[in-house]
Amino acid sequence: MIELQDVSRVYHRGADEIHALEHVTLHIARGRFAALMGPSGSGKSTLLNILAGLDRPSRGSVVVAGQKLNDLSEDELAAFRARHVGFVFQFFNLIPVLNARQNVELPLLLTHLGKAERRERAQTALRVVGLGERAEHTPSELSGGEQQRVAIARAIVTDPEIVVADEPTGDLDAKNAVEILALLRDLARDFGKTVVMVTHDPRGEAFVDEIHHLDKGVLGDPAPEPRA
Amino acid sequence: MKFLPLIWRNLARNKLRTALTAGAIGLAVSLVCLLLTMPSGLDMLLNQVASNTRVVVHNEAGLVYPLPYSDLQKIRSLPGVVAAASWTWYGGVFEVEKGVTFPNFAVEPEPLGSVWADWKIDAKQLEDFRRYRDGAIVGRATLKRQGWKIGDLITLKGTLYPVDLSFRIVGEIPNERAPHFLFQREYLDQALKAAGRNLDTLGIVWVRVDDPARVAPLMAQIDQMFKNSEAETASETEKSYFASFFSMLSAFVTIILIVTGLVALCIVFIAANTASMSVRERLGEIAVLKALGFGRRLIFATLVAEAVILSGLGGAFGALASLGFTQLLHARASSWNSSLGPLGSFIVTETILVQGLFLALFVGMISGVVPAFGAARRSVAATLREVF
Repeated sequence: MIELQDVSRVYHRGADEIHALEHVTLHIARGRFAALMGPSGSGKSTLLNILAGLDRPSRGSVVVAGQKLNDLSEDELAAFRARHVGFVFQFFNLIPVLNARQNVELPLLLTHLGKAERRERAQTALRVVGLGERAEHTPSELSGGEQQRVAIARAIVTDPEIVVADEPTGDLDAKNAVEILALLRDLARDFGKTVVMVTHDPRGEAFVDEIHHLDKGVLGDPAPEPRA
Repeated sequence: MKFLPLIWRNLARNKLRTALTAGAIGLAVSLVCLLLTMPSGLDMLLNQVASNTRVVVHNEAGLVYPLPYSDLQKIRSLPGVVAAASWTWYGGVFEVEKGVTFPNFAVEPEPLGSVWADWKIDAKQLEDFRRYRDGAIVGRATLKRQGWKIGDLITLKGTLYPVDLSFRIVGEIPNERAPHFLFQREYLDQALKAAGRNLDTLGIVWVRVDDPARVAPLMAQIDQMFKNSEAETASETEKSYFASFFSMLSAFVTIILIVTGLVALCIVFIAANTASMSVRERLGEIAVLKALGFGRRLIFATLVAEAVILSGLGGAFGALASLGFTQLLHARASSWNSSLGPLGSFIVTETILVQGLFLALFVGMISGVVPAFGAARRSVAATLREVF
């Protein structure tokens, strides 16, 4: 599902070169729940951005869902993300002026679905994450855990093959963090999604199928973990 | 259309700022619409006050230079001339110490009713004007201003001629804006003869033509007739004659239109600033939308649409407000009014409404393009890194 071959990413900050990733080769199979772990500045988010089509490698090949991302233009990458990738962010990043259902509907605006169909699918996605009754609430009326569930509903509403989550439990209390981790695990286990999560949260280790450690942009050997 | 609710919600995000920006744009568009009525309003006013069959003939050197009085007869003899009358500026002053003056002219009484048939002077008053050598016909504006009435006796002190003349008011020009004070030329002539002078010149000649189609050739014929004479003439239509008095106003209108253009430019900057602030505040959200798959063109289009809708709504409000305002004035006074002046003639037409709306949409477009372009081009990963 996700194939990175000898990927490097170099940023230029003034005269300095920052090597965020160096010669990363990574394979994540379909339906797996993978965690990218490592200290701050180790390149986890950079790697996540690259495999999600948000950023481009300086070197190396990125193939996701059978599509080589290196060759795609900005607009093609946007279309790729709309079709294949769902996103979950640390700070939920819901649009505050839209209610939960409208937030979940956002990715569906890029499809050819009619209004009624969009509404129905958004409602279904909210039910999947256990928020069917909270559809008309705005983000400010929802708790942190509920907001993250809405973000997950938004990530899965288009039925993408891949869900990427950047520190999804970073802004949650322990109870909500565990619930979100379980939900992400269910997406992989029950719905066949490939879920890639960047996390510092050690509780995540119990939920994932595999952990990839990064340090200073270099990927360590994969360490498969049993699911909880 | 499916993105309209998203655009609308974003506009409603900061209601006060949206309302203030729309209000500023609406005010500017309203101002522009009102100012755009001025050229056509002046034209309409001129059409109301000027006859299309009346021609004025004056010295080609300028209005202050006289013409020989004999020219009047020559002009009257031309085919197509229904009637012709001369005006000779007397320059009389009422209440010298206060400097009260008004346009006062010596005129032949006989053709008065024919040359200015549209003034609709009462027949009995016209008859009295012919009968009494010291009679005067006075415009209603001057009558009201001075508090005079028919039958009053007044004296004007001559400033151009060394004679003071006493008049009895025998009639009025029933028009609220008419300031004229007309009296018999014969009266002035006799007074001057008594003072040892002759009145053998005139100021201007007014000619009533029988057919509007004949006006242009007749003017050419008159000017040709006096070509190479001691006093060559310049003929023009009454509208053109009055328009020359409005020329200063036209220059004023031009200045106002330039200022209006600058105001519109300022509004572009205000709207652009609002759009920039709005985009800056939502960089994170825009990055999220891009991450979800919203392409650069879509982001650009929705942000520009937001600015255009805001500006369009403000502009529509402003244009309609200006329409309502001028309709209100027009309902109170369809042309000249003593309290409103010519304002009743200035009407916001459909064309002006459309121009106002297009201005608003243009302002929205221009103000939205730069911040939208910047937001659309911004890298998603870089924005997510910076904002979160």
